[in-house]
Amino acid sequence: MKVSGLTGGYSPRRPVLHDITFEVKAGEMIGLIGLNGAGKSTTIKHILGLMKPQTGDVRIDGVTLEEETERYRSAFAYVPETPVLFDELTVEEHLRLTGMAYSVKDNHYEEREEELLEQFQMMPKRKAFASHLSKGMKQKVMIMNALLADPSLYIIDEPFLGLDPLGIRSLLERLVEVKQKGAAILMSSHILSTVEAYCDRFIVMHHGSIVAMGTLEDVRRAAGMETRGGSLEDAFYKLVTGGNA
Amino acid sequence: MGSDRTLESIWQRRAKAFRTETMPYFRYMGQSGFPAFLSLIVISSAIGYIGLLRHVPDDFPFTIVGVIALTLVLCWSPLRTWLAAGDTVFMMPREADMNGYLRLSLRYTTLGCAVLVAIVFLLYMLIYVQGPAINGAWTLGIVAAGLKAVNVWGAWQERQMTWPSMRWLLRSLRWAMTALTVAAWLTSLLWQAAAFTLLLGILCMVLYRLPSKHRFPWERLIDEEARTRKRYYVFFGLFIDVPTLSSSIIKRSYLSWMLRRISFANRNTFVYLYSASLMRTEVGGIVLRLLFLGCLIVYWFAEAVSLSGYGSLIAFFIFMGLIAVQLGGLRHVHRYSVWKHVYPLPEKQRTDQFLRVDRFAIVLCTALLWLFAAIPLALSGVYMLSLAAAVLAIVYLAVRPMRLRKKLAQDEEEE
Repeated sequence: MKVSGLTGGYSPRRPVLHDITFEVKAGEMIGLIGLNGAGKSTTIKHILGLMKPQTGDVRIDGVTLEEETERYRSAFAYVPETPVLFDELTVEEHLRLTGMAYSVKDNHYEEREEELLEQFQMMPKRKAFASHLSKGMKQKVMIMNALLADPSLYIIDEPFLGLDPLGIRSLLERLVEVKQKGAAILMSSHILSTVEAYCDRFIVMHHGSIVAMGTLEDVRRAAGMETRGGSLEDAFYKLVTGGNA
Repeated sequence: MGSDRTLESIWQRRAKAFRTETMPYFRYMGQSGFPAFLSLIVISSAIGYIGLLRHVPDDFPFTIVGVIALTLVLCWSPLRTWLAAGDTVFMMPREADMNGYLRLSLRYTTLGCAVLVAIVFLLYMLIYVQGPAINGAWTLGIVAAGLKAVNVWGAWQERQMTWPSMRWLLRSLRWAMTALTVAAWLTSLLWQAAAFTLLLGILCMVLYRLPSKHRFPWERLIDEEARTRKRYYVFFGLFIDVPTLSSSIIKRSYLSWMLRRISFANRNTFVYLYSASLMRTEVGGIVLRLLFLGCLIVYWFAEAVSLSGYGSLIAFFIFMGLIAVQLGGLRHVHRYSVWKHVYPLPEKQRTDQFLRVDRFAIVLCTALLWLFAAIPLALSGVYMLSLAAAVLAIVYLAVRPMRLRKKLAQDEEEE
C-alpha cells in the first residue's frame, strides 16, 4: 500500500491531514501511533475510501479505489476500533458471509473456520448472535473475519480495546504468522509497549502530520534521543510534547 | 428548575418529546391515503357487523368468538415507559423513587387498553345478548374490568421475573387462564363461573409468587420500549423514509435451515445476508404474522364460499398486497451499512441478489395464501375464480422485480 501526498479532512477549508506519505511493504508490520485527534483514524478512513482525499492518493495492490473498486477492496481486510457486526447473524454466519465476500475456497473455509474459532476461544459462542456478545467478543469476530479473508494487507485500528489477555495473545501470534507469510499490516494502537515489541517500523502522527517515521532508531533520532537510547514511549512523549512532558 | 427534575416531570417531557417526534410521520401517513383505506375497511366491517346484528345465525359460534375477541384485548397489556439505554446510568440511581414514574406509565397505557376492551366488549355484547345471554351484560362488564386489572398486574409481575423462560411460561398460563375464565362466564351460571374464577385466581396468586424477581426490571423495560418504538417506525416506514433504529432480532430457529441451504459462493453473498435479515428482523416477523393471519382469514372466507367465493379472493389480494409492501421494507435494512464500504461485497450484484430473495419470499407467501383459498373453494366446486386470481397474482409477481429495481436505483441516486 502506498499513501502519497495525502491531504484531507471533513471540510476542504480545514484539512485534518497534511501531506501524508508512507508505504507499507509486504511482510512488514507498521505501528501508527499518535495522541487522540492526531489523525490516525482519519488516515485509515481515507485508506478505506470512506473519505475522499483533497490532494494525493492511496494505492493498494497498485490501484486506487476509483480505478478498480473490487480489486482494491479485496486486497485488504479492516478491523475497526468499534466492532461493526450484523445483529441478525451468528458468529459462524459472520465468518461464512466473509468467506463468501472474499471468495474463500469452500474446502479451505471449513478448516479455517474451525481453526479460528478454536484459536480465539469462540467455540462455545459459535451459534451466538452478535447482539448477545460482549464488546471483546465482537472484536474477536471482526479479527477472525479479517484473518479468514487472508488478504495481502491488514488495517487494524486499536485492536486491543476490550480484548481479554488470551485474545490479545492470539491476535499477536496470528499477526506474526500472516506477516511471515508475506502480508503487510498497518496497526494503530495506544499500547506503545506492544507496538514497539511487534512492529518493524513506526509512523508517529501529531496534529495531522507525520512527525517521525521509520525504525525505533529513526523515531529516537527524530525525537533528538539518538545518543541516549530509550523506549518508543520515551521518544513518543518527546515528539508530541516537545520535551515538556 | 428543581421541580423540572422530578421523575414525573421527566416522564411528561419524554411523552411530549415522543409525540413531537412522531407527529410529522402521522402527517405523512395522513397524506398517503392510508386513512381512506382504513375508513373503507371500517365502513365495510361496520356494514357486515350491522348485517350480522340484524340476522344472527342460530349456529353462530358465540362462545368461540367471545373468547377469542375478549382474551386478545384483555391479555394484551403493553407498557410505555420511555426508558432508554442511557437510563441505567442516569435514572438507575433514583430507582427507589421510580414508583411515581411507573404509575404514570401504567395509567397512560392502561387507559388506552381499557378503551379498547370497552369497544370490543360492547361490540361483542350486542351479539351475545341475542344468543345464550346466560349472564347479564353488567355482570360481564364488571368481570371484564376485573380481568383487565388482573392482566395488567400479571403482565407487570412477568416483566419483573428474572428468568425469561419462567416469564414466557407464566405469560402463556395467564392467556390460557383468561381464556378459560372468559369461557366460563359466557357459558356457565354466575355461581359456577365465580367459583371457577376464584379457584383460578388463587392458583394465579400462588404461581406468581414463586419465581425470583427483579425489584425494577430495567433491561426488560428498556428493551420493551425500544421494540415499541421500532414498531412505530416500521409502520411509518410504509409511508416515508424513517431514521434507522437498531433492529430487534428474533432467532426463529425453525427457519435457519433455509439459510444453511444457500450455497457458499461469492454470487450468494447478498442472498445470504438479506435472507438472514428477512428471517430474523422485524420485517420478517410482520410478514410471518400477516401470512398466518392471511391464511386463516382467506381459509374462513373460502370455506364459507362468502360472496360466492369473491370474499376469499378479496382477502387474498389484500394480504398479498400487505405482505408485498412489508417485504419492500427489506431493501432499507442494509442501506447505510459500513460493511459495503469496507468489504469486497459484490455491490453491482446487490440489486439482483436482493431481488432473488424478494422473489422467493413473495412467491412462497402468495402460493401459500392462494392454496388456502383455492383448495376450500375447489372442494365447494368453485374453480374459475381461483384460476383468475392465480393469473392476476402471476402478472403482479412478474412486474414486481422491475418496480423494485427502479426503487433501488432511486435509493442509490439519493445516497
